[in-house]
Amino acid sequence: MDHIRNFCIIAHIDHGKSTLADRLIQRCGAVEDRDFRDQILDSMDLERERGITIKANTVTLPYTAKDGKTYELNLIDTPGHVDFSHEVRRSLMSCEGALLVVDASQGVEAQTVANLYLAMEFGLHVVPVINKIDLPSADVDRVMEEIDRDLGLDPFESVQVSAKLGTGIDDLLEAIVQKLPAPKGDPQAPLRALLFDAQYDSYRGAVLLVRLFDGTLNAPTRVRLMHSDAEHKVEEVGCQRLKRVPVPQLSAGEVGYVLAGMKSLAGLAIGDTLTEAERPAAEPVPGYREAKPVVFSSIYPMDTNDYEDLTKALEKLKLNDASLIYEKDSSAALGFGFRCGFLGLLHLDVVQERLEREYDLSLILSAPSVRYRIVLNNDKEVWIDNPTYYPDPGSIKEAYEPYIKATIMTPERYLGTVMELCRERRGVETTYNYLAAGRMEVLSQLPLAEVLFDFYDRLKSITQGYGSFDYEMLDYRLGDMVKVDILVNSEKVDALSQLVHREFSRPRALRYCERLSKKIPRQQFKIAIQGAIGGQIIARTTINPFRKDVTAKCYGGDISRKRKLLEKQKEGKKKMKMVGAVEIPQDAFVAVLRTEDDEDEK
Amino acid sequence: MAPGLYLHVPFCSSICPYCDFSVMDAASPARQRFASRLAAEVSLAAPAWRDPRPFDTVYFGGGTPSQLAADELAHVLDACRTRLPFEIPAPWIFLEANPEDVTPVACAEWRALGVRTLSLGVQSFSDESLRFLGRRHGGRQARAAVDTALLAGFDTVSLDLIYGLRGQTPEEWRKDLGSAVSLGPQHLSCYQLTIHERTRFGVEAKHGRLSELPEDEQATLFELTHRFLADAGFSAYEVSNFARGPAHQSRHNRKYWDHTPYLGLGPSAHSLAAEAGRPARRWWNERGTPLWEKRVAAGERPVESQEVLGPKELAEEALLLGLRTTAGIDLDGFRARYGVDLLAANDSLVARLMDEGRIVVRADPEGGRFLVPTLSGLAVADGLAAAFDLSLPN
Repeated sequence: MDHIRNFCIIAHIDHGKSTLADRLIQRCGAVEDRDFRDQILDSMDLERERGITIKANTVTLPYTAKDGKTYELNLIDTPGHVDFSHEVRRSLMSCEGALLVVDASQGVEAQTVANLYLAMEFGLHVVPVINKIDLPSADVDRVMEEIDRDLGLDPFESVQVSAKLGTGIDDLLEAIVQKLPAPKGDPQAPLRALLFDAQYDSYRGAVLLVRLFDGTLNAPTRVRLMHSDAEHKVEEVGCQRLKRVPVPQLSAGEVGYVLAGMKSLAGLAIGDTLTEAERPAAEPVPGYREAKPVVFSSIYPMDTNDYEDLTKALEKLKLNDASLIYEKDSSAALGFGFRCGFLGLLHLDVVQERLEREYDLSLILSAPSVRYRIVLNNDKEVWIDNPTYYPDPGSIKEAYEPYIKATIMTPERYLGTVMELCRERRGVETTYNYLAAGRMEVLSQLPLAEVLFDFYDRLKSITQGYGSFDYEMLDYRLGDMVKVDILVNSEKVDALSQLVHREFSRPRALRYCERLSKKIPRQQFKIAIQGAIGGQIIARTTINPFRKDVTAKCYGGDISRKRKLLEKQKEGKKKMKMVGAVEIPQDAFVAVLRTEDDEDEK
Repeated sequence: MAPGLYLHVPFCSSICPYCDFSVMDAASPARQRFASRLAAEVSLAAPAWRDPRPFDTVYFGGGTPSQLAADELAHVLDACRTRLPFEIPAPWIFLEANPEDVTPVACAEWRALGVRTLSLGVQSFSDESLRFLGRRHGGRQARAAVDTALLAGFDTVSLDLIYGLRGQTPEEWRKDLGSAVSLGPQHLSCYQLTIHERTRFGVEAKHGRLSELPEDEQATLFELTHRFLADAGFSAYEVSNFARGPAHQSRHNRKYWDHTPYLGLGPSAHSLAAEAGRPARRWWNERGTPLWEKRVAAGERPVESQEVLGPKELAEEALLLGLRTTAGIDLDGFRARYGVDLLAANDSLVARLMDEGRIVVRADPEGGRFLVPTLSGLAVADGLAAAFDLSLPN
């Protein structure tokens, strides 16, 4: 067990975590140079494109140290965004140590601190790594000072590297071996293996990634999942190199994969503990927390025939993404779909993109909502995240909405506009700090609901792309919410109902009405589009009907041609959603439900 | 109802820039052979025409049928009369003619052949409009031709007019309509200018030099046409057709709109057969005169293609055609034939359309119910047809 090091890399977005991982893999020869793809751990296209890690991945690296011994380094990659702190936690639980990456020019960021606290919560030994020392703007002395002052770590323990150029990587590998503790555990004790990630392999089914704390694991042992209480027979265990390599046995302290013939994706809870069915452990691995979704949206297939495909795609996604929750939902306008809960906005975005890209689905997402706490007149408390179930306003005594603490980094010149944005979004206790020359940190307590609606895009826009944004959940506060319905010729379009603060109800309703009226084709009768709170109309637009839509001549040869045209039109109409007698094309829903501003509205 | 016979004569002394019919320059040598080729097609087609009911209408359309000499028309008619069942004593014969071909002598010859409706391709009485439309005649010649035709004693004189020309104002069109009405024809066909892709206008439009009028102006002219003619004693019976009393409606063209069978001969002509006990079929001839002629000469029927019309196709057509007529759709007949209760299957749509004043449901004295488009409904008849759900019980 002395030759094993389980560690992860934690960092702020863009501080170079993935590049550093690539360099370690390359230096340990786990991959041939010619096979090397940059950022090899980020296996999804999406991660590659966005340059952020969404899915934790893991790899075992053989390393022969200067002391002549060969070590097994298990690098567990962690997601880099606050939305995924749940996945971060699971990964951290599997490690004894962490490399905390700090950008040599940017210094310690808010998130670096948050990640450090998280690592310390799990009792990890942390080695600071100062990356990007090759940059002309690198200021290693200042960063070392910040590591001391802001992180409370020993700056002289830090390793200076340039992951891009490969500088300092040997020192870093030695530091991993020398400074990070070896795992502890009892190979003779009953098996306790933490399921910290799972992937779906179309040939082998579920691939479970585990960290063994006690005991040993080999085929064909029968294992039990302690939380879900299911039993499976192990078919294969092995090491996760860049490919899966089978080994005869995994032992306490080691990280590896388990195949246990699980075809079904259901019932696997990430964070669960595997134990031996014959000789179960007394307690599961502690520290597991359930992920709590904070953002909710209903997902519908664009084509109602794709509902089955969406169902399967979500099942598969759920295996890789334990924090995604969903249940069946249906809309009169959009048919069957799923109400989904997400850890945050980015998470929502990622799930949508993965469904569209990996499963080739076209989707309509309802306006994202937060979860409200409603106290009714009879003092009963209900939690509402779906406008459909919003209680009658007359029965509501008090409504509470979630607040976040937003941390916004911005160059000083945009301070005024950023403060203004926070104020517009009902931000309170908005303050700011100077971080360094020209760099500001704005702190604001904002209703999460106001952040869901194009906040990030607006921030990016007003700061010319320089602003960054991070948040953590604060608490629930009294609010004045109303349910805004959208009516098309007096019929409610259920998928477009939303809960908003009263102050914003009118402009939001008007925006929906205007977008809809641009997207619904004219018909043979006038179409009134209205926004309403209960029976009160607060916004209205009108689509005027056709005045002339008939061909002049229709004799012998024209009839077949006209009929074929009609058949085509009717075929196209099948793809429209009917509300009352009005045909609404799907792209109207997409356009209305987009959270960002229209170009022409700016 | 008795079937109708259509005979297509493709030749024109010049090709109009808006026309997308099967037409050919009259200077072509094919012109001289045409009457005998058409008579030959009658012989080829007759054995395949199984409908025993006698034809009660014969329509010479084009092109310009008045390009054929009276003896050529007689030759074709003789061939038809010999090979096909004709109503006794004679079917109603329609002839399309260009104003420049209308003389007292020609009219007398046509009357002698049994022509009862003369349909004149006047298009306009304004010299400016006629030049824009590439017509060879002028306003004065058009007036003279109408006078001559009316004096010749045809049962019905019909005028074709085109409106919605580039830059045309409601006042100009009203003046044109006034000229037409004041001459005293019994029938008018007023077509809004449509720019077809493979015409000279189509090419102009593609280069952005020409376009149809904006929708609002089209609608204004459309409504003006119907209101003006109603005031002048013409009732509309279809989107573009108006008659001074039901007797002057085109008995032949109405067959196209209610699935009465018709046999079409000549290039591009369409036919519809619906004999008892057999599925309805529509077929159409080769569009181009050279290919049509070649096949006829080889002793073949010059049919380009055909389609079988099942209940779904027939119902769709009945819907789109019915909504173009002021008689509307016989709802009980529709349900009996196609098994669809149009009103019940489209209740919320029907309510909206009635609200908007696009349609009404009218009862006739015998207790039948008709779905009838109003004027503003006729103006959007294509859209109406597309809006109705025709989910047939398959």
